[in-house]
Amino acid sequence: MEFEPAEEMEEFEQELRHAFRRQPAPPGLKTRIMALAAVLAGAALWRQREEQRKGEAARQQVLTALRITSHALNQMNRQLAAHDRASQE
Amino acid sequence: MAHDWQPDFEQLVDEHQSMVFSLALRMTGDRGLAEEIAQDVFLELDRHLGRIESAQHACFWLRRVAMSRSADALRRRKVRRMDQWVEFDEAQSIPAEERHSPLGARLEQLLAALPEPQRAALVLRYQEDLTPEEIADALEAPLATVKSHLQRGLKLLRARAATDLKEYVRGV
Repeated sequence: MEFEPAEEMEEFEQELRHAFRRQPAPPGLKTRIMALAAVLAGAALWRQREEQRKGEAARQQVLTALRITSHALNQMNRQLAAHDRASQE
Repeated sequence: MAHDWQPDFEQLVDEHQSMVFSLALRMTGDRGLAEEIAQDVFLELDRHLGRIESAQHACFWLRRVAMSRSADALRRRKVRRMDQWVEFDEAQSIPAEERHSPLGARLEQLLAALPEPQRAALVLRYQEDLTPEEIADALEAPLATVKSHLQRGLKLLRARAATDLKEYVRGV
């Protein structure tokens, strides 16, 4: 293996640090990122609200079904009570 | 674990856009692709913001994801031969006002011709000034492997630079 003088290697590494310094981001990159993030956040919020709306609609359907069932049971109960009274008389 | 740091997405984009873009640009050699990668990396950060614990964690996370997304993009592109080499065209890649000296431009081209793992290690070492341990963390690779990539990459780059750039390298 060839011997590489440390000083030369150090100089080369310095040159690399200089050559490979960060490049400025293209103009408008940040604006595009912020706009896309806002669109995605909006879409996520819409999805969340849509889920909530669907959940609320399902809850209302269950409540309606319970009200109908309750009404039917009350009616049946009243009929049974009337039947009981009639048989006692 | 609870943490007090409150991430500000816009500020993080502001602070780190140059780092993320430069990593992607040096890994892919393609300005358009690097811009797309930077965009995706920051959108992913936005989704994971709740899990970021500190400013240092944000920087570490961005570096790691930028390198990983760049590697994915290269794999998808399946550039030349068995290795993921990239064609770094300085004239196309960097606007005139930001272009390097002839030596810097040539070093960029020589870096682009290195195999991907060596290029990744050297970019993190000389662009980001990371230690081999930090590079191993960022690339999720064993330290010995990273040291080997650094050593081989540097040697290769030096040899190619010595051949190509005799006027700049003393003692050749």
